[in-house]
Amino acid sequence: MASSDEKRLMEMLADPATQRKAFEQVVRQYSEQLYWQVRRIVLTHEDANDVMQNVMLKAWTNLDSFRQASKLSTWLYRIAINESLDFVRHQKAASMMSADDDAGIANTLMADEYFDGDETEAQLQEAIAQLPDVQRTVFNLRYYDNMKYGEMSKVLNTSEGALKASYHIAVKKISDFFKQRD
Amino acid sequence: MDMNEEKYLNERMSKQNPFRVPEGYFDDFATQVMAKLPERESQPVTAKRVSFRPWMAVAASLVVAIFSVAVYFTQMGGQQEQPQQASATVSDAYMDAAADYAMIDNAEIYAYFVEN
Repeated sequence: MASSDEKRLMEMLADPATQRKAFEQVVRQYSEQLYWQVRRIVLTHEDANDVMQNVMLKAWTNLDSFRQASKLSTWLYRIAINESLDFVRHQKAASMMSADDDAGIANTLMADEYFDGDETEAQLQEAIAQLPDVQRTVFNLRYYDNMKYGEMSKVLNTSEGALKASYHIAVKKISDFFKQRD
Repeated sequence: MDMNEEKYLNERMSKQNPFRVPEGYFDDFATQVMAKLPERESQPVTAKRVSFRPWMAVAASLVVAIFSVAVYFTQMGGQQEQPQQASATVSDAYMDAAADYAMIDNAEIYAYFVEN
């Protein structure tokens, strides 16, 4: 988005008279890219949809805290990633307390009507899901979205050096996943 | 060594997206979200809050100054009161909202990184 357009949008967001209309524009503009960030972390469409509702509600409710710093997209990405990671953490905690046998991520995905991949792809997703939160997030942002470390540093509020280190560890682990299968 | 590993990954992994969405999902999403959003209780623009404090400080100082003078004249030789600090507090709710996505989750992210 051109920065003068973004400036105009931010002005409209700051003005109570135009806020709702401006926010609708934000939702239309960013929801798809935010959705895919969320989906890669929570894995199913149903959960991604739930998290996205929360993301938009939080963005709307916290519009005032967006006065400073960053670009709109940086702020939105941060909310989306935080909500997604919170969601999976709660899910993990709940499944640890449940006596049910966990089917496993790969099996759950293979049974999911909105997952098109084969078994290898499903197992890959399971491997990615087992990475620690920061490594997983960095891996997704870098490998799938080619996000620059500078931008990532603002989204995750972590130094570029630390992010690069995280990424290389993640790459090594995912490579090992494939090598074990070769 | 890392470059080779990434190259290996590029060969083994397809960047094709295995995840699908229901038809029309993104088209409907915005309309559906906007219908659910509550009316926002808009915080007053920052400038209004900030300008309140000098007035409070001036008013409080004046009151104290007049009071001090009165005390001084009624109790000659008595100790003079220290002028009080006016302290208008910005609403906690505003600061909480500002902290919410500016600071709080960053600490969590740092903590996770340190652990791993």
